[in-house]
Amino acid sequence: MGTPKAALEWHGSTLLGRTVRILARATSGPVVVVRALGQDLPELPDGTVLADDPHEGKGPVQGIAAGLAALTGRADVAFVSSTDMPFLHPAFVRLVVRVLEGDEGTDVALPVARGYKQPLAAAYRVSLAGAAARLVEEDRLRPAFLFDECRVETLDDAALKGHPLLAALDPDLDSVLNVNTPADYEAARARPAPEVTVQLFGTLAKGGNVSGPHVVRAATVGDAADAMAVAFDRHVTAALNGDQITRDPAMPLAAGDAVFFMSADAGG
Amino acid sequence: MPPGGYFGRVLVADVTSGTSQDRALPDGVLRGYIGGCGLGTWLLWQLGTPGADPLGPAAPLAFVFSPLVGTSLTTSAKFAVVAKSPLTGMLTDALASSQFAIAGKLTGHDAIVIDGRAPELSVLLVDGDGIRLIGAAHLAGLSAADTDRHLRDELGRGWRVAAIGPAGERGVRYATISHDGRHAGRGGLGAVMGAKNLKAVGVRAGTKVATADPAAVLAAARDLRMRSFGPATAKYRELGTLANLLAFNAISALPTRNFQAATFDGAIELAGNVAGDVPGMRRVARSSCASCTIGCEHIYRSRGGKQARVEYENVFALGPMCGVSDPDAVLAASARCDELGIDTISAGGTIAWAMECAERGLVDAPWLRFGDSAALLRALDEIGGRSTPLGSLLAEGSRRASRTVGAGSASFASHVKGLEMPGYEPRTLHAMALGLAVNARGADHNRSGAYEADLSGDLDRLDGGDAHVAAAIETEDRAAVMDSLILCKFLRGVFSDPFTEWAGLLSAVTGWEVSGGELHETARRIVMAKRAYNIREGWQSADDWLPERLLNEPLTLPSGRVATLTGDRLRAMIGSYYNMRGLDPEGRPGPAAVADLGLA
Repeated sequence: MGTPKAALEWHGSTLLGRTVRILARATSGPVVVVRALGQDLPELPDGTVLADDPHEGKGPVQGIAAGLAALTGRADVAFVSSTDMPFLHPAFVRLVVRVLEGDEGTDVALPVARGYKQPLAAAYRVSLAGAAARLVEEDRLRPAFLFDECRVETLDDAALKGHPLLAALDPDLDSVLNVNTPADYEAARARPAPEVTVQLFGTLAKGGNVSGPHVVRAATVGDAADAMAVAFDRHVTAALNGDQITRDPAMPLAAGDAVFFMSADAGG
Repeated sequence: MPPGGYFGRVLVADVTSGTSQDRALPDGVLRGYIGGCGLGTWLLWQLGTPGADPLGPAAPLAFVFSPLVGTSLTTSAKFAVVAKSPLTGMLTDALASSQFAIAGKLTGHDAIVIDGRAPELSVLLVDGDGIRLIGAAHLAGLSAADTDRHLRDELGRGWRVAAIGPAGERGVRYATISHDGRHAGRGGLGAVMGAKNLKAVGVRAGTKVATADPAAVLAAARDLRMRSFGPATAKYRELGTLANLLAFNAISALPTRNFQAATFDGAIELAGNVAGDVPGMRRVARSSCASCTIGCEHIYRSRGGKQARVEYENVFALGPMCGVSDPDAVLAASARCDELGIDTISAGGTIAWAMECAERGLVDAPWLRFGDSAALLRALDEIGGRSTPLGSLLAEGSRRASRTVGAGSASFASHVKGLEMPGYEPRTLHAMALGLAVNARGADHNRSGAYEADLSGDLDRLDGGDAHVAAAIETEDRAAVMDSLILCKFLRGVFSDPFTEWAGLLSAVTGWEVSGGELHETARRIVMAKRAYNIREGWQSADDWLPERLLNEPLTLPSGRVATLTGDRLRAMIGSYYNMRGLDPEGRPGPAAVADLGLA
């Protein structure tokens, strides 16, 4: 690629920054970024946990081992993602995590989407950290070795699309599309920002009939504010899908999101 | 000489005998409790008989002013009415804004405390010459507004009147005290006044009060006035608090049908003219309280042409809470509450509880159904007049009524400590859940603004923990100071370093050299004094809690996320609150904290 994937730009965000924020949106626990020793990373949101990978070049199982180790004691289940999936949808993450959380007899929820196993878009029990580290020590570096040692529930296209919300929001399972070549990257950049719905409340809706839901294309909350000519300053907050509230303009949006802009001076 | 902004004395009026006395207020007390709610708490401790019946003659009713009253500082024409609540049996303090504050203070007192019970329905008049009682038989049954008009005609210019409506005369436990169309609304202060056989209190200025540094006060007033025109107050200025309705509905924070849901299909009908194209109420005028440059008061007109001043809380309580989406009905119900002199939040909360009881067959009132506008208005009339057994039952508030009805109805009576819940859904606002549970006044959104933390984006509002506790404490402290200075909370967003800026205002008025740190300590003292008062009056740890429904019935948000506020989570947050406040595990202050209160 010529440029570290983490720092590649996609609709105003770095791929890593977008991925971290998507995972923060979709999960309740901390987000861990595993990096090579001394690796420069683009700006990340506050609260991101950095874990150093002491064995550079050992492949995905080493990264999984380091990430799970960093989460030991903080979470029971982790979604593991590569940094180069610009279309990763929170609904995809939630679904995969929920499958694992819902079955105590399973160690990995492994999507098999778009024809391939997706070990870097899968959910793992944090307790696998030791097994993964041992495999690295044994130089058995392919995820398949880890899967051989634990209980894996695969989620094929049908299983994934059988979930109505995911089928509506990510019908082609673009969540698992990654960027491996310059052509992939150019193709990803050529795709428009996600289509989202924006609604304004209170004084923001004054001065015209702009209050009702408006469909815009925006990759971040800040982009959505710009699209509606809203000054996203300290007097304004945004609620995503009526749920999480944010003041972060870099908060990523995904297809089907609803963004409510409202006064930060709430209450009465 | 008293400090600037103060007279250094309280008038104690005994309406049983028609006599009064001035008592000195030491500088240390004024500095330690400021005025308003803070000083009112101290006065109630000193002058109240422990364990007294709130509706008995031994329970004092205090009108408390503040050092800022009478200055040119915007929003400062406010006063606190403080008493033992007939709803909660604990301290209640309600703020109101009007010329009554200025005239009352300029009688030459920092507070007027009323004791006893007049031998007949009376009006208490206070001016620079002292007190007198006049008969009020001709005012019996009148609304507060009509009483005000009658008395101004009778008494002449310069008199300002705070009055009760018929509900206060009849002892409705959530009756209000009103003046200039504003209400000291929560906790049943109107019932306390009615129990003293007082239809009204009239005050007339008779003196002046000096500030320590008039030039500094004027400069601060100009600065504050300019800031009050900025974006931090835009919501209140341009739309009023009714702007909350659709926003809260969008984030599942709008209590609906007695907290059985957190969104209301009819919200848009009630939301006001925010975009010029909604079908409900339309805003037709705006006005301000005395000495206020914000102007949050918005007059709405319904499709039926009826006009009334509406705010989020009365629309929430009489609309979604009761399942009513007809704006005509909500406006009519709001106006009826004003005429009767009852608190809209407690009225709506109590009626919503009764509607659920009726639908479950627990009370014999088949006409009382969620969403039925006529039923809402009928229930209000029966409450205000105590004209039927059901009306008398509901006039007691939801806690007492649920104890009478039994059959598990207490589990869905939406109150804390007996005070009905305001329009903030605790299951989706966890910092606010704590604020409501531990507040001295009960379920109260004015003494705890913890919802600010929930809606800030800095915390996950569905995952309450220690950060939420710290935020709730901070908003409680800020409220304690603002309610004692007194400044309107709608100004709060204009202050970037609140305690330091408020200390500057207080210093300019009084001549004290007050720091932000000192004011923060004062805030903690006031919060603790309220708790100490409640403990004296019988508070138990179990009183710091939320209705069981909110802990046992999760809500599913449109996003698919489930909002749960379990008893374990609430217990953990309360434990953290006690710890951070320096209380023991039962929520009681230790000896050192009590000594600092200066209550002995």
